[in-house]
Amino acid sequence: MSVDSIHGHALRLDSPLQLDQRKIKVMIVDDNSINLSILSRMLEKHFTDIVQLTVFMTSGVEALQRLATEEFDLILMDIDMPVLTGVQTTVAIRQNTSECPVLEHNQNVPIIAVTTSDGAEQRALYQQVGMSDCVSKPIVLSKLRSAIEGAMKGIKRVLCE
Amino acid sequence: MTATSPTQAPSTAETAINNIKGTEEPEVADKGAETETETDADEFEDNGIIDHTTFDQLLEMDDEEDHEFSRSLVWNYFEQAEKTFEDMNNAMEKLDFPDLSRLGHFLKGSSAALGLTKVKESCEKLQHYGNRKDAAGVNNITNEEAETLISALLVQMRREYNEAESYLKVFYDGQE
Repeated sequence: MSVDSIHGHALRLDSPLQLDQRKIKVMIVDDNSINLSILSRMLEKHFTDIVQLTVFMTSGVEALQRLATEEFDLILMDIDMPVLTGVQTTVAIRQNTSECPVLEHNQNVPIIAVTTSDGAEQRALYQQVGMSDCVSKPIVLSKLRSAIEGAMKGIKRVLCE
Repeated sequence: MTATSPTQAPSTAETAINNIKGTEEPEVADKGAETETETDADEFEDNGIIDHTTFDQLLEMDDEEDHEFSRSLVWNYFEQAEKTFEDMNNAMEKLDFPDLSRLGHFLKGSSAALGLTKVKESCEKLQHYGNRKDAAGVNNITNEEAETLISALLVQMRREYNEAESYLKVFYDGQE
């Protein structure tokens, strides 16, 4: 099955091997500037092998607006935000309705919750709404890496099928 | 200070307040009241102010020989915390519990990110009290109990923040 037929539009990839080599574009969504700074610095310092570009959004509303016009490969999503929570934002992305559209590519983008709300019930909810993983705050580097690599492997698996 | 067991709700609000306040430490609600005695940052280490695993991870993200990133982050946190405390006081005057809960959660995130253990734990309690739950976030409490608990907690939180701020300022002064 070709990549084009899965996504419905052309990607600049000819094979899964190229996905290994292509660096990813990441969106970080968090209403707290301290958390945004730390996470972006982590990606900048420790994930240069994976991440090409990072974009910061301070609300779920801003994130949805950006996802309507620009493609991303990964979203790191805070959960407890005013107006639209991380869960509500994820639901909107996955549902991709005409009232709240995102680019088709973004509808299935891996979303990792990054939050202090990391109890078992909350993790189950995140999975239920379509998040691929949950990383607790304060962030442990190895756990962030494991979550990101796991999320990206999930995408590769889809492309290879 | 006697710590309240996280699994037990206080039988009365008064008991909870006494547990929070303790008996041996003076209340410091105002930043101007803090002492100016210079203290080696190491003396704070056993007081549980800083989670060094988290804080050290932050320092590792600094460029070599330069703590500019972590320093600017910490000073941004100071500004954020001062603004948040002001918002908390305003919300307390209006008894706006949902706002107090939101503010507690907000500051909890950045306090946790910097490894400020005690401040983070107090922020979590504020989050719960603002939701009219006990410290563990399990049992319901009344508005009156919430008001009393939060009032005492804001004093405690300010004291813990002052401690953390002093520690961090001494740490960064020592890096120059």
